[in-house]
Amino acid sequence: MNAAALHISGLSVSYRDLTALREVDLAIPEGQITALIGPSGCGKSSFLHALNRLTDLVPGCRVSGSIRLADGTEVTDPQTDVLALRRRVGIVFQRPNPFPQSIRRNFEIPLKEHGWAKSDIPDRIETVLREVGLWKEISDRLHQNASTLSGGQQQRLCLARALALEPEVILFDEPCSALDPLASGVVEDLILSLREKVTVVIVTHHLAQARRIADHAAVFWTRDGAGTLVEQGPAERVFSSPQDPDAILYLNGARG
Amino acid sequence: MITHPIRRSPSKGLDLAIALAGAFAALLSFFLFGWLVWDLVRLGLPKLSWSFFSGEVEDAGRGGGIAPILVSTLGILACCLGLAIPLGTGCAIWLSEFVRRGSAWARLVASGVDLLAGVPSIVFGLFGMVFFAQTLGLGFSILSGGLTLACMILPLLVRTTLTALESLPADLRPAAAGLGLSKTTTTFRLLLPAALPGIVIGITLGVGRALSETAALLFTSGYSTRMPESFSDSGRALSVHIYDLALNVANGSAMASSSALVLLALILLVNSAAVALSEHWLRRRSSAS
Ligand SMILES: Nc1ncnc2c1ncn2[C@@H]1O[C@H](COP(=O)(O)OP(=O)(O)OP(=O)(O)O)[C@@H](O)[C@H]1O
Ligand SMILES: [Mg+2]
Repeated sequence: MNAAALHISGLSVSYRDLTALREVDLAIPEGQITALIGPSGCGKSSFLHALNRLTDLVPGCRVSGSIRLADGTEVTDPQTDVLALRRRVGIVFQRPNPFPQSIRRNFEIPLKEHGWAKSDIPDRIETVLREVGLWKEISDRLHQNASTLSGGQQQRLCLARALALEPEVILFDEPCSALDPLASGVVEDLILSLREKVTVVIVTHHLAQARRIADHAAVFWTRDGAGTLVEQGPAERVFSSPQDPDAILYLNGARG
Repeated sequence: MITHPIRRSPSKGLDLAIALAGAFAALLSFFLFGWLVWDLVRLGLPKLSWSFFSGEVEDAGRGGGIAPILVSTLGILACCLGLAIPLGTGCAIWLSEFVRRGSAWARLVASGVDLLAGVPSIVFGLFGMVFFAQTLGLGFSILSGGLTLACMILPLLVRTTLTALESLPADLRPAAAGLGLSKTTTTFRLLLPAALPGIVIGITLGVGRALSETAALLFTSGYSTRMPESFSDSGRALSVHIYDLALNVANGSAMASSSALVLLALILLVNSAAVALSEHWLRRRSSAS
């Protein structure tokens, strides 16, 4: 078993007086793909956003418990440098969200912010655009506005932009659900290609997709009005012989 | 075979009536504007010549030109925008990005700004005279006038910039945060460029208000018709000149029309310059290497 890229214990997330997530313990194995599944509203996004402190953006959101990176950095510690943390733990959202500026600026702004030398930036852009298979398609129009790309291309651009910062972990929040099946397949293959290189945590409503790509699976469920983790383990085991009664029904497609 | 008579449904008739009323309203406003411009051109154009732009004011404005007036006007506008743009943008950025939405502070400042927007300009004039001219000792000067106008258009700039920032796509900020961008980078490299068109509209409206203001200038920049030598000299703005010619100078209305024509052209010029500048800037931004 690999070491853990993220060690989560006793993690709770609440919005004012609503507890969205209660007492989650989970170890995310390094270099593998961990899929988070479960019905709507059971706190998967809240969990994901706590991992790189995007929960800070929500007024009234409180996070308690512990999240440790491989080197021991405590994510929830107020002293932790959030900007550096978010470079190390990147995220790709459900809806592609390129900046409404040129494709090149989409990379330059974050790369400059995190101290890349100006002279290294063009190479870095080429490397990551090749990684997501966009280089051939768009290398001659890097000056164009990123919003002129198709939805699938935009999502791959967002993945490339996150990869450019050399993160250790990438979080995906339903990255394919706004795409057509073809574009969705392309993004899914890209996520698979990240295995061993970065740690992936992906929320997906698409059970077949989770089954195809996940090494590790975690099932969330709403219990007593709050989301919680009800089942987790190697993907094969979770999908073939789940133990939790709700997880059994959910994975068999009867509920959720 | 049964043939149904073709009848207009009542809603179709209503549509037609509304369309006609709309067309009539559009035509009427166009006609009024055309008439106004035509009147100005008819009365003012004959006096327009090179010497009108380059000459000193003579005979209380009945003769000569408006060179000192133009210089004073541009000076006042420069002082006004020089203060109002950074202050207004800064205030809006602070309210929308750095204070929690709906916090007591934000509400207090925002409602103060909205309250100021409703204050008549003559009140700003009195305030400017007491505060800038007397308390700060700037006297009757282009600087006092410009700063007074800056206070007057500030609420407008804050409101338009704030609206522009608040109506940006909601996923811009999380996207930036997810990449570990600082607030400063997010604001200056992403939000402001995206909000620029809205900000430019605010500035354009502000320029229009500033150039057409008389009441706030009477007791601040004064009405001296001499050529100003510095920002601390008194100087007469175009709008004040027009007001004076039309009201206080017998036989001044022809020159008033000429000056009004120049004012109209100036406003048009400043507006198109603002739009062109922001478009140029946006293009450079979006394709900069
Ligand atoms: N910004 C917020 N403010 C208040 N409540 C929130 C906020 N975001 C989420 N919640 C609440 O927290 C709970 C968990 O939401 P969350 O988005 O984490 O669920 P999810 O599992 O990602 O759902 P989905 O599959 O629909 O995306 C829900 O009850 C939701 O209403
Ligand atoms: Mg979600």
